[in-house]
Amino acid sequence: MAEPVSLETLLPQLQGILEAQYILSTREQLKPFECDGLSVYRELPLVAVLPGTSEEVQAIIRLCHDQHIPLVTRGAGTGLSAGAKPHPQGVLLVLTRMNRILEIDTASLTAKVQPGVRNLAISEAAVAHGLFYAPDPSSQIACSIGGNIAENAGGVHCLKYGLTVHNIISLEGFTAAGEAITVGSAGLDSAGFNLQSLVIGSEGMLMVVTGITVKLLPVPQQTEVLLAAFDAIETAGQAVSNIIAAGIIPGGLEMMDNNAIRAAEDYAHAGYPRDAAAILLIEIDGSSINVEEQLQVTRQVLKQSGVTSLKVAADDAERALMWKGRKSAFPAVGRLSPDYYCMDGTIPRSKLAEVLNYIDSLSKEYGFPVANVFHAGDGNLHPLILFDANIPGQLEQVETMGGRILEKCITVGGTITGEHGVGLEKIRQMPLQFNDQEIEQFHRVKTALDPENVLNPGKNIPLLKHCQEYRALAADLVPNRLLSQAEPG
Amino acid sequence: MQDSAHILQEQVRQAATEQTPLSICGGRSKKFYGRPVDHERLQTSAHTGITEYSPTELVITARAGTPLQDIESTLANNGQMLACEPPDFDGKSTFGGMLAAGLSGPSRPFRAAVQDTVLGCTILNGKGEILRFGGKVMKNVAGYDVSRLMVGALGCLGVILEATVKVIPVPAAEMTVAFAISRSKSVALVNNLRSQGMPVTASVHDGQTLRVRFSAGRREIDSMEDQLEKHYSFVEWQRQDDNSYWPPLRHHELKGFDAEKDTWRLSTAPTADVSELATPDQPWITEWGGALHWLQTNATPEQVFDCLASQGGHATRFRRPDSQAQESIFQPLSPLHMTWHKQLKQAFDPENILNPGRMYAEF
Repeated sequence: MAEPVSLETLLPQLQGILEAQYILSTREQLKPFECDGLSVYRELPLVAVLPGTSEEVQAIIRLCHDQHIPLVTRGAGTGLSAGAKPHPQGVLLVLTRMNRILEIDTASLTAKVQPGVRNLAISEAAVAHGLFYAPDPSSQIACSIGGNIAENAGGVHCLKYGLTVHNIISLEGFTAAGEAITVGSAGLDSAGFNLQSLVIGSEGMLMVVTGITVKLLPVPQQTEVLLAAFDAIETAGQAVSNIIAAGIIPGGLEMMDNNAIRAAEDYAHAGYPRDAAAILLIEIDGSSINVEEQLQVTRQVLKQSGVTSLKVAADDAERALMWKGRKSAFPAVGRLSPDYYCMDGTIPRSKLAEVLNYIDSLSKEYGFPVANVFHAGDGNLHPLILFDANIPGQLEQVETMGGRILEKCITVGGTITGEHGVGLEKIRQMPLQFNDQEIEQFHRVKTALDPENVLNPGKNIPLLKHCQEYRALAADLVPNRLLSQAEPG
Repeated sequence: MQDSAHILQEQVRQAATEQTPLSICGGRSKKFYGRPVDHERLQTSAHTGITEYSPTELVITARAGTPLQDIESTLANNGQMLACEPPDFDGKSTFGGMLAAGLSGPSRPFRAAVQDTVLGCTILNGKGEILRFGGKVMKNVAGYDVSRLMVGALGCLGVILEATVKVIPVPAAEMTVAFAISRSKSVALVNNLRSQGMPVTASVHDGQTLRVRFSAGRREIDSMEDQLEKHYSFVEWQRQDDNSYWPPLRHHELKGFDAEKDTWRLSTAPTADVSELATPDQPWITEWGGALHWLQTNATPEQVFDCLASQGGHATRFRRPDSQAQESIFQPLSPLHMTWHKQLKQAFDPENILNPGRMYAEF
């Protein structure tokens, strides 16, 4: 990296690209952009810019590229891994002004949108045509589709409808050098390598996306939600496996433990049984006949699986309320404690009880309560660790405890991040999931597409020397298999 | 069931040291596809076995050389299937070949593409390093998505050793309906069927007839004829006696997939008009709700590529009488895309030994 550029040098150049009101450089102006949804990681950028057109974006990227200025792209700032934390010597490229839905194509079942469009706004616009955009992260009222692309965002309907990567037709934008590029095509695949899958989830490190064509689906004719309560986590976990073994793929399949149930119920009054050890929210959607058929099978399976109470939402209002409880689980838990730390491991469903018991033992060991919400359908676990960041040392302890949860996820065959991304938050745990050669391969991918390391430098992929330090520290905690520097042979 | 990973690793290491290019071979069922290359063979077919399968997790892990038929029969025994319905040419395709070619079957727009089903894989890169990406769980966003990048890369970025894919339950019932409707109107009809909540899992137009496959629970399928009578009286339709049309379509055994003439695969928006390429009396099959065409044409490769480029799609000269033809196989890449491809190739295979020239002459 060259000498850091000064604001005095940079401002006049930016003023040649976009109107002064869209260039933020004072401390007061920059303060709202110091962090994303993971507010323990904060930094002010040198300058933030809010372009309104692709041309402006391109000119900004070229400027940064030519002068070796770090460029961090940001959407709505709802990310949970500090992936959009600004670079102190860099430009923060805020794409929220590019928030137009350009076209809804009812013949191709696609929508063309700009990156700053909110996730939910796509479905709201498409519903008039009987269509919707499937991925629905819990932050969907606020999060932007551009951010969803960067993180390969999931949601509560992934088992049936997939992640962001499964619902994108093509991406337009710019390379790190500011050259216009389209990945994907108007068809369902493209010539050459599958670049689109590589770019989606790359945390803004391989290109900047300014135009997105998403896939739309017909709104299901009928949707039913069941609320099933259990007196043990294990029984609820087994019920999930039994539903899937019966050939049912629910639209949504969520689990909450008792701490999460009580918090959500007190907050949203969703009708959750406060004394249950676990609840499942099961959404079944499709044609009316199919829904009725699957509902019948699901009820039967749940009864055979030891459900203690079972309720089907009577109408749309009750269905919305049942989901409100789940989707507001994070803020609800937030009311219980000054701060909470949200984890994002994914595990094979069969290991659920083992992992939850382990988390419980850590909770006792560290003295921090934990509430668990779980995308049971796809194995994505969100333990919320309650703590108080104002008490010196608690944040560090929580991070250590969180690290141990992620290590457990890896040892049972899972991953350190299901949908929130690595960003800065989980960069230390990357060496648990990947050996040095794999990390090195990631760096080579980055260098192939961004040789000057302009786009979001320092995120997602750790430096190898940090991997070695982390492994030395973690050697007592995790099996050697995970820490091997390379495969034998 | 045999683990040959380290034998393959040794071969790749040696080839890297000696800078000897390798042709990666599984069942050789797709040797007609892509640019022909004649390097020393790296045979993955001895690296076989389903290493993990837990039906309630809806995932299966297998080594690359495992015959596709073994995987499909194992899944079928548990009431499950591959969502992407890949072609199995000559019954010889392997799991690794399915991934490397990335060819999805008739259900692709309605269920999943090959890359959609991939959760993780283990590869050998061109340095002979064994690397694992992704995992065995549905959601995994740690690091770049290298596993899905491998799908369709024709082995140019790595030798796939093992992979985990998501599977789906086999539907309880299926039926096939033939509609007497023109090709151009069939796109809207398929969309309409889907928006009515009908469980469409495949569609194909052969120039005369649109055939649609519906897959769902028994009760729903039993009710389909009533629903069609109620809502689709404006078009002539007929339920087919069985569902035997689909396997030959999936495995490219129908007329129109032969290599007597060039057979083109055109990937487009469903609404794109490629009729300028059609040649009367030559086969033209349209799948995927209008997003995939197979056609034999008198148009030159340049005309085909130009037509698809103008529509934002892409063309592949899929089968051809001259199996040794080197040029005009895949849609030409833009200079910038070619640069990205070459740089990624260099990142994974610095000595350029893995299937060089299989996809494009430049790498």
